[in-house]
Amino acid sequence: MTAAVSAASSAPLATRGLVAGYEPDLPIVKGIDFTLAPGEFVTVLGPNGAGKSTFVKAIAGLVPVHGGTLHLSGEEITDEPRHALVRKGLAFVPQTENIFATLTIRENLQVAAAILPKAERQQRINAMLAAYPDLASRPGAIAGGLSGGQRQMLATARALLVEPKVLILDEPSAGLSPKAVSEMFARLVEINRSGVPILLVEQNVRAALAIASRAVILVDGLLRHDAPAADLAADPDIGRLFLGAHADGAALAGEGTP
Amino acid sequence: MSGQILLEGLLAGAMIGLGAVGLTLTYSILRFANFAHGELLSWGAYLSLSLSLAIGAVSGASLAPLDPFSVSAALILAGLLAMALTAVLALAVDHLLFARLRGRGATAIIVVMASFGASMALRSLLEFLYTSKPAYYSRELQIAMPLPGGIRATPDQLLLIGLAFVAVIAVHLLLTRTDLGRAMRAVSENPALAGVVGIDTAKIVRAVWIIGGALACTAGTMSGLLVQIRPYMGFDLLLPLFAAVILGGIGSVPGAMLGGLIVGLCEALAVQTIGAEWRAAVAFAVITVVLVLRPTGLFGRAA
Amino acid sequence: MSLEFLAYCAFFLTVALTYAVIVLGLNVQWGQTGLFNVGVAGFVAVGAYVSALLTSPAVEGRFGGLDLPILVGWLGAFVAAGLLSALIGWMTIRLRADYLAISTFGIAVTVQLAVLNLEDVTGGPFGISLIPRPFGDLAGRSLAFSLANLALLVAVVFGLYLMLQHLAKSPWGRALRAIREDEMAAEALGKSPRRFRIEAFALGGAIMGLGGAAQAHFIGFIAPENYLPMLTFQVWAMLIVGGSGNNRGAILGALLVWALWAASSALVEALAPAGEQARAASLQTVIIGVALCAILLFRPQGLLPEPGGARRRLPFLRRWRGTPAATTGSDRT
Repeated sequence: MTAAVSAASSAPLATRGLVAGYEPDLPIVKGIDFTLAPGEFVTVLGPNGAGKSTFVKAIAGLVPVHGGTLHLSGEEITDEPRHALVRKGLAFVPQTENIFATLTIRENLQVAAAILPKAERQQRINAMLAAYPDLASRPGAIAGGLSGGQRQMLATARALLVEPKVLILDEPSAGLSPKAVSEMFARLVEINRSGVPILLVEQNVRAALAIASRAVILVDGLLRHDAPAADLAADPDIGRLFLGAHADGAALAGEGTP
Repeated sequence: MSGQILLEGLLAGAMIGLGAVGLTLTYSILRFANFAHGELLSWGAYLSLSLSLAIGAVSGASLAPLDPFSVSAALILAGLLAMALTAVLALAVDHLLFARLRGRGATAIIVVMASFGASMALRSLLEFLYTSKPAYYSRELQIAMPLPGGIRATPDQLLLIGLAFVAVIAVHLLLTRTDLGRAMRAVSENPALAGVVGIDTAKIVRAVWIIGGALACTAGTMSGLLVQIRPYMGFDLLLPLFAAVILGGIGSVPGAMLGGLIVGLCEALAVQTIGAEWRAAVAFAVITVVLVLRPTGLFGRAA
Repeated sequence: MSLEFLAYCAFFLTVALTYAVIVLGLNVQWGQTGLFNVGVAGFVAVGAYVSALLTSPAVEGRFGGLDLPILVGWLGAFVAAGLLSALIGWMTIRLRADYLAISTFGIAVTVQLAVLNLEDVTGGPFGISLIPRPFGDLAGRSLAFSLANLALLVAVVFGLYLMLQHLAKSPWGRALRAIREDEMAAEALGKSPRRFRIEAFALGGAIMGLGGAAQAHFIGFIAPENYLPMLTFQVWAMLIVGGSGNNRGAILGALLVWALWAASSALVEALAPAGEQARAASLQTVIIGVALCAILLFRPQGLLPEPGGARRRLPFLRRWRGTPAATTGSDRT
């Protein structure tokens, strides 16, 4: 326990006994201990309904926490209001509705940049536009008109704009074309190499295992397996055991659908 | 349509539009139809009245009208103070009533019902304090000046049309050019995501009440200047306000202003062709047409 | 106890029961279905005027005055208010919930305006008088007259109550509740939420119209100022106090709020100086408005909670970690 607490006190992100769900009497996440180490790329896997999304939404303050604690770089953030989390360095990209569709591309970035010191804002927005040429070509366009892949780009750019200490993404590949998925995953690897630890919820198991360094498997709200991604990818039993009896073959073959 | 009807419509429309801009902001960001918004207009008008009398009593000389308008320096100062006080009133009602219901997770329609109760209480409180007898800012009679096209208008009327447009443009610039405005639009579209990107929604809610209250006070004071001040003045404007908001599309500031102008012009036209006694039904006719033909309004987004 | 007092009690109860009819109608719309009607006064007025036109004696220069039996008038009131409700429901129930509120508010304003302006039909500001009163031949003996009318209203309210209780337990009522609790699930079961809601809104409006007719016939005289927004407000206070969703609560609320209203009016009349009566009356409204808000805040279930205790579970705005926000993407993967 003391080892766990001290690990939590230094790790970029840690949860201790996290219980969360929409209703207090109906927990979906039922007590998860998890630590994200510096520079790590961890993917969260598990069958449908295992609580993967709820787990990361609870960390981001979108689902009420009913028990346990959350730590960001050693600081406890369990009771922090949602809007304070990003100021502390936790950036979250939701699965759906992750951009402001009625605002322009530039305004989406400006809204996020508002937490930065005034002098840095424009420079950070320009840096993000430079990193995503698709967005830079028409920053005045209404974001609601973007394609799925472009929306995901904008959402990721918005999250990275504030130079977070931790990046969390909830199924960013859902609904994207295979080409857009591979582009986005390549970008995530790049971001991770630049030093940002990433926590990624994915349905697309094979692709996720290929880019992540570690994988955790959630089943029925509990963390049931924690292993290096490469080991998991090589283990034929894991799919059968944890990823659902009928879906596992397809999922491990990389055809997992949202 | 003759020029005079156009002017009457513009005048009524400018007032409706100004009130509707505040209503559309609270509607889109707080996500409920506030039936007490009309009372913010009435309270604003009465606060301007009381403050201008108080200022006049203290300073004496400043009650003289600023030629060629009937407006005195005291009333202008009082109007500015009343805007602040109306904003405080809006914040207080939110704090005592709406915020608690939101916090408890009440459905939108419960909040609408509470606003209906608050509207009744606030209006009757005005009736108790000031009685239902009409009041006026000034007994000064204004001579209408001839304008091109055979239109006649008083200087006050022209001033108010100008002021309404300045106010609406200011709010539009605030929403599109400032951090606060962008944050307000973000909360209006998706409060959860707004929190994720670091916007403090509670702060935005306060800002919306302050802006909505100040605009309501402006609209109420203008209406009081042009017509008269009555406890029911805001309640009688509520249906035209809703018509303007729905016609413009909920959340759209230019839409609310344009909606207000259209409702005002329709009212002026109806007064001319059908008769003044049917004026109050025009707004409902507009709502009916919009809801049947285009429920999202002119500039609204699909729900 | 004098006979006059007994007659007064009967009179008071009869008026309260006419309100109970209206509140029962509102309960079908709000309590059972969750439809918010801010124009109760408009539907009550339609019922009152339609029945008055059908049953009152002919007056020169005015349309209507068909001198038909009272029962025909009441049926006409029921049908007319129901049709108007169906029309409003058809127009707005497919849209967001508060559009119905705004539309009903608009219809009440418009109905008020119409009865005031259509002098050839409604008598304009003078209203319609000589509306036949049930048991009118007893009018000379006030106690017998009052008791007969009270008995009639008790029968109407009791009959409505039994019908609504039966309806709530019928497949129709169950479908309505299912839709209110979980629209998506109900839709998946093949229920069209919109049709059921329009039906419930029409039925509620029809009952309000009936209540308006009963009131008009009992008083014998109607005028536009009887149907101001204040009436809507009173009826809402009755339902909220009694407990929305509960038919017995609706009746109890009507009796209780009407008693409070009458008592406080009498108090105002007795205590306020002659010149200040109107002001004191507005203070009375302030208190009732604040009380309505307080009940919504502190005892939203009213005196008699909804049977079964099923509270509305529509998570429109929630609170966690201090900030209110709408839920987005409630997927649980």
